[in-house]
Amino acid sequence: MPPMLWLGVAYLGALAALLITSLWTQNDFTGEIERAWTLENFQDLFRVDVYRTITFRTIGIAALVTVIDAVLAFPIALYMAKVASPRAQRLLVIAVLMPLWASYLVKAYAWRGMFSADGPIAWVAAPFGLHSPGYGLFATTVTLSYLWLPYMILPVYAGLERVPSSLFEASADLGAGSWHTLRRVVLPMAFPAFVAGSIFTFSLTMGDYIAVKIVGGTTQLLGNVVYDNQGAANNLPFAAAVATVPIVVMLGYLAAARRTGALEQL
Amino acid sequence: MTATAISLRGLSKHYDQVRAVDDLDLDIADGEFFSMLGPSGSGKTTVLRLIAGFEVPTAGTILLGEDDVTTRPPFARDVNTVFQDYAIFPHMSVLENVEYGLRVKKVGRSERRKRAEEALATVRLEAYAARRPHQLSGGQRQRVALARALVNRPKVLLLDEPLGALDLKLRREMQIELKQIQREVGITFVFVTHDQEEALTMSDRVAVFNEGRIEQLAAPVDLYERPASAFVAGFVGTFNLFQGEAARAVVGEAGSFVIRPEKVRLDAEAPTDVTGLCIAPGVVREVVYLGSTTSTVVALDAGPTVTVSHPNTDTSIDAALERRDQRVVLTWRRDHLVPLASSETAALPEEETA
Amino acid sequence: MRNIGSKRLAAVACAGVLALATACGTSSGGSDGDKKASADQGGFSAPDVPMATAIGDPEGQVNILAWPGYAEDGSTDKTIDWVTPFEKESGCQANVKYFGTSDEAVQLMKTGEYDVVSASGDATLRLVAAGDVAPVNTKLLKNYADIAPFLKDQAFNSVDGQMYGVPHGWGANLLMYDTEKVSPAPTSWSAVFDDASQYAGKVTAYDSPIYIADAALYLMDTQPDLGIKDPYALDEDQLAAAVEVLKKQKENVSEYWSDYLKEVQAFKSGDSVIGTTWQVIASVAQGEGAKVEAVLPDEGSTGWSDTWMIGAEAKNPNCGYLWMDYITSPKAQAAVAEYFGEAPANTQACSLTSDPTFCDTYHAEDAAYAAKIHYWTTPIEQCLDGRTDVKCTDYGDWTTAWTEIKG
Repeated sequence: MPPMLWLGVAYLGALAALLITSLWTQNDFTGEIERAWTLENFQDLFRVDVYRTITFRTIGIAALVTVIDAVLAFPIALYMAKVASPRAQRLLVIAVLMPLWASYLVKAYAWRGMFSADGPIAWVAAPFGLHSPGYGLFATTVTLSYLWLPYMILPVYAGLERVPSSLFEASADLGAGSWHTLRRVVLPMAFPAFVAGSIFTFSLTMGDYIAVKIVGGTTQLLGNVVYDNQGAANNLPFAAAVATVPIVVMLGYLAAARRTGALEQL
Repeated sequence: MTATAISLRGLSKHYDQVRAVDDLDLDIADGEFFSMLGPSGSGKTTVLRLIAGFEVPTAGTILLGEDDVTTRPPFARDVNTVFQDYAIFPHMSVLENVEYGLRVKKVGRSERRKRAEEALATVRLEAYAARRPHQLSGGQRQRVALARALVNRPKVLLLDEPLGALDLKLRREMQIELKQIQREVGITFVFVTHDQEEALTMSDRVAVFNEGRIEQLAAPVDLYERPASAFVAGFVGTFNLFQGEAARAVVGEAGSFVIRPEKVRLDAEAPTDVTGLCIAPGVVREVVYLGSTTSTVVALDAGPTVTVSHPNTDTSIDAALERRDQRVVLTWRRDHLVPLASSETAALPEEETA
Repeated sequence: MRNIGSKRLAAVACAGVLALATACGTSSGGSDGDKKASADQGGFSAPDVPMATAIGDPEGQVNILAWPGYAEDGSTDKTIDWVTPFEKESGCQANVKYFGTSDEAVQLMKTGEYDVVSASGDATLRLVAAGDVAPVNTKLLKNYADIAPFLKDQAFNSVDGQMYGVPHGWGANLLMYDTEKVSPAPTSWSAVFDDASQYAGKVTAYDSPIYIADAALYLMDTQPDLGIKDPYALDEDQLAAAVEVLKKQKENVSEYWSDYLKEVQAFKSGDSVIGTTWQVIASVAQGEGAKVEAVLPDEGSTGWSDTWMIGAEAKNPNCGYLWMDYITSPKAQAAVAEYFGEAPANTQACSLTSDPTFCDTYHAEDAAYAAKIHYWTTPIEQCLDGRTDVKCTDYGDWTTAWTEIKG
């Protein structure tokens, strides 16, 4: 019971404090929080078009990153789970985990270097008369997809590993070719694992602001609005209100994920 | 023998240094219930997987009827498999599982439904079509696996220890049911098991495997009554072996001889007419009650120990128990002694109690 | 959540009310057109925070919150080091934290973790009003006497004749460009506004709402009809016009910067070729081999006038005072000013710079020139240019507008 209590206080308490803060307001001049109850922050959130735009952009990027990671993770996870020898399997798990040992910032800055005007992408593109796509939404999507890929590979790998090989053999035995087996057996069986992985990729993207700052050029996501309002403009109440948006989106996402049974895969 | 369903020629499968299947020749007849019996690691499951196409042979050919299928993938072979763990697709209903093979072969919807329901009726699961696999018992899942394979009307049905996970009572029921179904559908069954009783109960012929080779291939009666080697004798039922010094002392000639425990009489005194009988006096060392039978272990004066088995025709075994440490005389018919090829005496199998 | 005593909260709320009520009522009596429009926001009573009366024994360390380049200890460049001499001299170990925007400085000072801060004009009064900084007893600072008179007792660093800090230095936001890719050399801010499309995807700009003032300054010159007198006093229409300029600019912007190292790197790699900068960034970029120059465009510029302030809850006030005195000493001032590229507040520094004409270049002793720079000031509802017939947009509006510009 004490661990649950601790969790309750530390996690939910902080969340509750955030929500309460979002109902206060801030003195724009001194930056002090004024503890008068108001829905003004949420009204602004819905009234000002730009916040809606940013919300949809963030959800869109999160969805795109999730899809890209799912597509990239599947063949790797399938190979790891069902093709590789046990030894190769262990090495691959380490290889997948390895980028997680490196600092987030190092990886993000590495991609900044990749996309820079004198970086490798520009160098490869130059012979074709092309340029680096530069900093922006594209670079952000690529970087976030890279950053969160392990969080998709590992659950999908674990999910596929739990699928007995005899199921694949049974499918082939019953006359199904590889493609049919993939579509009718492997993918449906792995689906909850994909949903489990997508919870990571989706929520991490929803909350990210650093990668956007580093490779995002002029774009901003919800995380940047939170950061700008709290870190820069010092408007904690409004930042708190903005922060509730990804929370609400994630709650909706988790509710949908629960129906697929994916939460048991975590 | 009628037409051949499966022919294996010079079939080998090696993993690194291990010869899982070693230069095997085998013909299985159409409509036969054929069992492959052997301890784990004897190569029987590998042979099954080679026939199914899950493994590629190191050497040799596999013929299904007239077709050489050696290099064909599993989905291009007219065989179906019932897996040891059933391999039921957990994300599909029972009906969808059974329909799977037909669906793959693009059989029309109504035809598909009709055949799947027939197959489910064959295994007495008509009422369970809409269930999910996790709502079924082990025996029911086993039947689903069977229906899913049978619905495709394959030339050959491969069964990989399909009853291994069931409890004894259910297993006995399923043995009889499987045999009935096989008779009904008339498909060749190739059945892998390590349970000698199962093999003897159901099969037309049994191949006993040892270290990647067939030790003996025979009908159940021949296998039991005339084992070709000590390995077979030991794997199929229990036995008493006399060899070397003991053979000379008890049997009166050199060589290796086997006598089944139930073929030995146990008396207080030697019979008067000894024509065609072997007689060996000894002391009762142990009496073991086994329900339908009682085993008595006798140390012969000539040296070896012999196990004798008797049906418990009386309700009381007090008489048998009283014999402990008493002198007795064992007799058996000379023609019940099975002589073994002398070179076969070395490798005795661990007795498996399945 | 921060734990603010109710007494203090009341005091702060009170100060806020006073600030608004009296903002346009008094003027500190600036001369010639009153470049210190921020003076109009003075005149409020600051919360009652006690002032030091003496410098006691040094505590052994001091936590410094500074603009990048204000407290160099040799880690950026071995020859650039005025923190180590301070540490030896005073016995106070200096823990330096750099910040990228005034907003960040205000935010960090609220944590109470820092003893002293180099605050610009768009942060000073916010800190004073919030009670985050204490008045400074200038009698305890022996170098205070040498500070340029036109920097003392200004609206952005004092309240009712009480100094809340010691002036550090001042300068202008410059236009940096890649000398290989941009030619001829730009002389107008139009290079990053109306003519930015020449460098589409290669323009950079400062990532802060205060950058709206740069656009307003440009509009003062190009669209006089808008009637902008002070780039920090914009009514709704004027703000909208500035936002339009910046939205158009955004189409050509590669990225916004707030981390100065990010700008250095972007110019080195060629991702940015033109944009707003500080002299120190240009110096670092040149030092790392980038082919860049920084110029003050014809329209003039926004800029800063910075003040060292001491935290109201400073844990090391004695070392804080020692630092404030040290950093305004002629030697330290000369070193900082030359490195950062700004005019030193202590004019005695002018005889110690390695470049003898340095102070002339930066007009360090030229009060008239100093008046032409539009120093960063926090925009508030009462128009800083003295208009009373219209409400001006405040910093909150600017923050929202900045988010909208970035889209």
